[in-house]
Amino acid sequence: MAATPITSPIPVAMYPTLSVVTLAIGLVITAFFFIYEATSSRKNRSLGKELAAAAVASVFLGFGSLFLLLASGVYV
Amino acid sequence: MKKNSSVVVDLLLLLLAITVLATPAFSDLVLSKVERRIDVTSQIARVTKTLKVVNSGSESVSEFTLTFPKFLGNNLAYLSVSHSEGKGKAKRSLANLSVKEAHPKGMPDSISFYSVSLPKPLSKGDTLTLEVVAAFTNVLQPFPEKITQRDIHLVMLQESAQYLSPYVVESQSLSIKLPNARIESYSKLENTKVQGSEIKYGPYKNLAQYSYAPIVVHFESKAAFAVAEKLVREIEVSHWGNVQVTEHYNLVHRGAQLKGEFSRLEYQDRPNPQGVSAFRHLLARLPPRAHSIYYRDDIGNISTSQMQSDSKKTELLIEPRFPLFGGWKTFFTIGYGLPLSDFLFASEGKRFLDISFGSPMIDLVTEKLIVQVVLPEGSKDISVTTPFAVKQSHEIKYSHLDIAGRPVVVLEKNNVVPDHNQKIQVLATLQEVQNIIQKCLAAHDKLEASLRDLSRTGDIQTCKAARKSTDSLLKDLSKELRPLLASLQSFPSASQISPKVEELVAKERELQEKLMAKHTTVVEGYEKKSSGRDIENRIASQQQKIIALRQEVDDLLEFIDEI
Repeated sequence: MAATPITSPIPVAMYPTLSVVTLAIGLVITAFFFIYEATSSRKNRSLGKELAAAAVASVFLGFGSLFLLLASGVYV
Repeated sequence: MKKNSSVVVDLLLLLLAITVLATPAFSDLVLSKVERRIDVTSQIARVTKTLKVVNSGSESVSEFTLTFPKFLGNNLAYLSVSHSEGKGKAKRSLANLSVKEAHPKGMPDSISFYSVSLPKPLSKGDTLTLEVVAAFTNVLQPFPEKITQRDIHLVMLQESAQYLSPYVVESQSLSIKLPNARIESYSKLENTKVQGSEIKYGPYKNLAQYSYAPIVVHFESKAAFAVAEKLVREIEVSHWGNVQVTEHYNLVHRGAQLKGEFSRLEYQDRPNPQGVSAFRHLLARLPPRAHSIYYRDDIGNISTSQMQSDSKKTELLIEPRFPLFGGWKTFFTIGYGLPLSDFLFASEGKRFLDISFGSPMIDLVTEKLIVQVVLPEGSKDISVTTPFAVKQSHEIKYSHLDIAGRPVVVLEKNNVVPDHNQKIQVLATLQEVQNIIQKCLAAHDKLEASLRDLSRTGDIQTCKAARKSTDSLLKDLSKELRPLLASLQSFPSASQISPKVEELVAKERELQEKLMAKHTTVVEGYEKKSSGRDIENRIASQQQKIIALRQEVDDLLEFIDEI
């Protein structure tokens, strides 16, 4: 009946690094989305590209904001 | 003055009541030696009693009754009884015994009774040594009750020089350890000595049941009489790796009240500062690896604090915004974060939190303690075990990103002293030690099996191979055991358990050696091709010892299991 200590699934020391990296990637993809909207005309734009960029960016930004909260001490 | 005389009248009435009443049917235990030590260097009076109990009757007894006069019993905050064996340096304390409040019929109301259940019934003629530790709050009465800023803080302790007990006492002594300051007066009975800052009463011989000799000691106390009227301690567990503890204190100075005005000039005058009865600092001992510590109140952050951390603890020294004189109050909040892996453990599919219960401040008495343990959202089947009685209830707290809310277990307890702070952390390490000992015993069984195989088949080579593998296995296990034993030593609350565990380990090692010796003799015997009977004779004595040792090891394992 050994008692094993429970730790977080991700090492706590990595929270700031992870938050910066995921937020950066998310913002880059958001930037790509905006640039795509700005440079394409009504005929050329593709819904698939827009949706894909939006989905991937939201995933990264979502995790990035979670890790940002954890890194700043709000252990949600 | 009025309070003093009313208590003395109480004591006299008590004496009268006792002498008038017929002695009840208590068992014929006799206390052959009672040593009491009262430590009043802080605001909590700690009494340590060593009682040697002899059963002079004809029946075996399984219960022992502890008594306190009611004015002490009402203020009893912490009571623990353990029994010890051995004399002098070889004394080892065994586990705590269960103590319950008892109300035997026909007893006067002015005595509190506690019934201790003995581990084994004490048979006729046997002796037993009991060690009792009791902590009392509010028994050091400030006298005079109102002082000016310039006066020293004098307090009064009322006790009995003779041990009040329902059993006959053959010899007893009392020693009161006072703080290193002025002793204003003390009751002078026969056999009273003052040695430095200790007053010794006794030894008194051959006293009847319920003998009582009231004494009063009036002395100066420099201890901080800090009492938390209400302490709300919130422990929030997050599976992302943090346990956040937030404590809200309402502190008051419960010593002699300040009469007259407070002069800051006199307080800060060097070289003669006036204001000895006040306290400025409070020391808190937090667990090691505490981080993000803050100390604030409703106005804002309080910067007068210092922190010192090492691998065993984190010490936080805080200084409230003003010095606290008698009757003055202050309130503040302390918060800190702790790493999750030090406090949350998983075992058998369940998770349990192992954390200390009371305030981390040393020598702080808490009148009302509320501990709120906030568990992550979706926790089910919540149960709490504490070594003392608490009042439990459940609540829900809505916090960051919550949908259904987090379950909160609220534990309430009144009159908490630092002695309540310790015991909860020991369970995790003990289990590991038990596991390793079980593995050692399994290795021993393998050795025995190999010997039996040898006697059946006569194959020496396999026997030797089995011996080699068990040797290396046992070496590995003893390596694993060493750091666990070291960590067990570091827990102060394990002071009763750790000698037992050490005994277990030592016995296991002895058993190991004897088994190895027996194995070697048998293998040699087979190599020399001596007859079966020769071999048996040689190992007969070893075999007996091995069986006895094995029995002792099993007993110790069972004992530790029960804890």
